[in-house]
Amino acid sequence: MICSEDIIYLDYAATTPVDDRVAKLMCECMTREGVYANPASRSHQLGRDAQGRVELARREIARLLGACHTEVVWTSGATESDNLALKGVAHSHMARGRHVVTSKTEHKAVLDTACQLQKEGCEVSYLVPADEGRVTPEQVREAIRDDTVLVSIMHVNNETGVASDITAIGRECRERGVLFHVDAAQSAGKLPIDVDEMNVDLMSVSGHKVYGPKGIGALYVRSDPSCWLEPIIHGGGHERGMRSGTLPTHQIVGMGEAFRIAREEMAAEAGRLAQLRDRLWTGLSHLGGVLLNGHRESRIPGILNVSFEGVEGESLLFALRELAVSSGSACTSASRESSYVLRALGRSDQLAQSSIRFSIGRYTTGEEIDRAIRIVSRQVHRLRGLAPSKDLAGAREAG
Amino acid sequence: MMDALDYSQTVRERFERPVNAGRLLGNVVSGGAGDESHGTRVEFDFRVRDGIVEESVFRAYGCPHAIAAASWVAERASGRPLRETGWMDPIALAEKLEVPEYKLGVLLVVQDALRDAASKAPKAREQE
Repeated sequence: MICSEDIIYLDYAATTPVDDRVAKLMCECMTREGVYANPASRSHQLGRDAQGRVELARREIARLLGACHTEVVWTSGATESDNLALKGVAHSHMARGRHVVTSKTEHKAVLDTACQLQKEGCEVSYLVPADEGRVTPEQVREAIRDDTVLVSIMHVNNETGVASDITAIGRECRERGVLFHVDAAQSAGKLPIDVDEMNVDLMSVSGHKVYGPKGIGALYVRSDPSCWLEPIIHGGGHERGMRSGTLPTHQIVGMGEAFRIAREEMAAEAGRLAQLRDRLWTGLSHLGGVLLNGHRESRIPGILNVSFEGVEGESLLFALRELAVSSGSACTSASRESSYVLRALGRSDQLAQSSIRFSIGRYTTGEEIDRAIRIVSRQVHRLRGLAPSKDLAGAREAG
Repeated sequence: MMDALDYSQTVRERFERPVNAGRLLGNVVSGGAGDESHGTRVEFDFRVRDGIVEESVFRAYGCPHAIAAASWVAERASGRPLRETGWMDPIALAEKLEVPEYKLGVLLVVQDALRDAASKAPKAREQE
């Protein structure tokens, strides 16, 4: 049970606590007694020891993705990975074309980067998911042009948990000779991934979404001359020249261990989380006027996004402060704008505002889910009781 | 930008335990303003005798500031002439409840709901 002042943590899609097993290994790579040397210092044993740890971790990332370890580039997180993928491809393929395809429900790390590319002269097509939050292969096929250099579609949406058919989309890209980038920050360690079977050329992953540390991520870059990326950070030529900078051994070791654990425990954890999610949904749906956002089947087990009719979003979020949940994406909850993801799925502004993302994880218990249901039920009933009836005139007559 | 937990103590208390919430039955004067689809809807019921509010309640769909403000207005309306609404000053109420400037529109909806009811209140001659 993870509690701070009795708050139930249901925001695992925003970030996860570091697994104790991960923290233990990380601690071995920081102090004088540990593996603290610069992994680029190959002139001495301490540096080579650090390099060895880094390379073991790199293999763990590769194993989870079905990739070769030489195809993994360390970054500071999925946001940097997305930036490197989009800018790297666009900048290195300018002579061939300047068209990029993505979707309106991507993470801001992709959308804002695409926007930056537009300022640099690229043309970007933004697909609106057609199938309850899923981008379809047909949509991608129709959007690809002769001058398209990159398609970037996320595997699992961070707000709804909906998973698109990456394999089929990748097939479309491969047939047209267009590079395919996938933001897999929410799916790595949650769903089976094989970059070869999925026809993926570039894939962004993050450490802190799978019980690893924050501040570390990776970009899978297919070992193919067409996948060469123009770097966005220069200085030292680390990571095959694509991402310079001293490698943070402890972060990398942590992410590697987190990915190892995720790979070994994924199947069992997915089953347990699906049961907890279904228990939460059953409990909430008894309230009535509760709408599930996103595809019912094609989604990861850890995320449940629902809208509550007749309840204003800000009041709902405040009323639910015994729960650590997100109203829309955690990255955008500082603003009061309704979720652009849910708006793109056709939800009204009102329902998008009153949406709550419950995301459960490794340390969520059935007891916490039951308590969360009780809290939500009590507060939704209370706020609905305060709200006017839909028909003021009718109410007067009744009075 | 104020975050979801950044409310004044008064707003928190009125949000948690809103006084004068509900619906009046019988011969009452009602008024409302705002639209749920725009984020705020406030309604008042007033029981009036000789032009003076004897009892008042509110209903509100909106942020905690809207609920707190509607509760405050419903409570303070008792004993006042319904047709006189000048005592409800949104700027002064914003200061009292520590409502941020960008939320002032919410208090204007509360004021409009009060004025809507006042406009429906029977004039003194009609009451006679």
